[in-house]
Amino acid sequence: MSGGSARSLGKGSAPPGPVPEGLIRVYSMRFCPYAQRTRLVLTAKGIRHEVININLKNKPEWFFKKNPSGLVPVLETSLGQLICESAITCEYLDEAYPGKKLLPGDPYEKACQKMVFESFSKVPPLISRILRTQNKEDCSGLKEELHKEITKLEEVLTDKKTTFFGGNSLSMIDYLIWPWFERLEALELNECVDHTPTLKLWMAAMKKDPTVSSLLTDVKTFQGFFNLYLQNSPEACDYGL
Amino acid sequence: MSDDATRTLGKGSTPPGPVPEGVIRLYSMRFCPYAHRTRLVLRAKGIRHEVININLRNKPEWYFTKHPFGQIPVLENSKCQLIYESVIACEYLDDAYPGRKLYPYDPYERARQKMLLELFYKILGYQNTVFFGGDCISMIDYLFWPWFERLEVYGIADCVNHTPTLRLWIAAMKQDPTVCSLLTDKNTFLGFLNLYFQNNPGAFDYGLSC
Repeated sequence: MSGGSARSLGKGSAPPGPVPEGLIRVYSMRFCPYAQRTRLVLTAKGIRHEVININLKNKPEWFFKKNPSGLVPVLETSLGQLICESAITCEYLDEAYPGKKLLPGDPYEKACQKMVFESFSKVPPLISRILRTQNKEDCSGLKEELHKEITKLEEVLTDKKTTFFGGNSLSMIDYLIWPWFERLEALELNECVDHTPTLKLWMAAMKKDPTVSSLLTDVKTFQGFFNLYLQNSPEACDYGL
Repeated sequence: MSDDATRTLGKGSTPPGPVPEGVIRLYSMRFCPYAHRTRLVLRAKGIRHEVININLRNKPEWYFTKHPFGQIPVLENSKCQLIYESVIACEYLDDAYPGRKLYPYDPYERARQKMLLELFYKILGYQNTVFFGGDCISMIDYLFWPWFERLEVYGIADCVNHTPTLRLWIAAMKQDPTVCSLLTDKNTFLGFLNLYFQNNPGAFDYGLSC
C-alpha cells in the first residue's frame, strides 16, 4: 500500500495535511512490531490506507499532537479522530470497517482471544530487554523467562487442537502476536521454539498467509535495523531504503 | 446489604457445584477493587448472578481449577466457560447480555474509552464532561469507580482537591443507583484494611455477622 516503504519524517519536517475522505492514515515505523499489528489488520481487511513513517530516533514536533506519548502506531481518520495503542487500533479497524471480522462474534470466543492476548503480554517487553542486553549472563536468565512464556503459549495452542489461536482459520489474536515471532530468527532466539512443535507449525502456517508474507521483513534487514537502532542512529528507521 | 455478603471459602472447603442455567457465577472478594468492577457491571445490567467469595490468603485447592494462579475476579457460566481479567470479564458481560449497553456503539467512542482506561493512572486533565464517557454514566466510569470509592479510606481524598471536575464526578457517581447499592462504608473498609495488614485471614470476612 502507498507509503509503506517511504522515508520517515523527522524533526523539522512539515506536518502532513488532513486525511482525505475514504482513506485512513497510520503513523508507523517499518520495523516496529506494534505498528506491524495495525498494518497486518489494515492489509487483512483490505482497508484503503496511507502510511506515514516516523523517525522514532528524531521525532517531528508535530507528531506529539497526534500522540502525546510520541509512540507509533497511531490511526488518524478523515474526521481528525486519533486512535493510539496498537491493540486498540486493531479492534477499532475490525469494528469500523466491513468485510471479514477478525474478532469472533461470540462473546466467549472473543473473551478467549483477549485472555490469550493477556498471557502473551510478557513476551514483547522480554524480547525488548533481550535486544538491549549486551551481557551474555543476564541474557541467559531473560532467555529462560522467554522460554517459559513461549511454553505457556504452546500449551494453549496444543489444548485448543486447532492450527491457529482462534480456531482453524487465522484471526485477530494470531496477527496480534505474530510480529514478535517474525523477529525471533533475527534476534538469534530460534532456540526458544525448539521444544514447541505446535508453535513451530503455527509459525510455518502464518508465513504462508498472504497478509503476513506481504509484510514480512528478512533476517538481514532486521539485523541491520537492530544494529543502528541500538546505536541510537537517526538512520535506523530508514535502513534498507 | 449487598448480595455478596457471604463468608469466604478457604482451604478444605467443598468445591461448589455447577452453575445453574440462567445464572452466572462470580468468584470474588468483597474488598477487591478489580472484582468490584465486575460486580458494578453485573448490577448495572441487571444480570442474575451468584457470588462466591474466595479467601485470598487461604485459597481453596479447587479454586486453581477456575484460575491458574487463583486470582479474582473470575466468571463461570452454566456452560462451564471461565472468563478472567476484570476488564475482559466486564466486556464479556456487556457483549453477552441484553439490555443497556455500557460500552458505546460507535467504534471510535469505544476506542476512546479503551484509550482512557490505558491512561487510568494519569486521568487528570482528560475529563471534559460530567462522566468520562459523556453526559451519562457508562462503562469507563464503572471501571474507574472502585479506586475513587477507596480514596477516603486510604487517606488520599485530598488528591482530588484541586480537580473540581473529578470531585463533581465523584459526587455524581455517588448518586448513581448501581454505585450506591454496592457502596461500602469507610469503617468497614478500615476494619478490613487493619486486619489485612496484620495478615489476619479473618480480614476477608470482616463485617459479616455470622
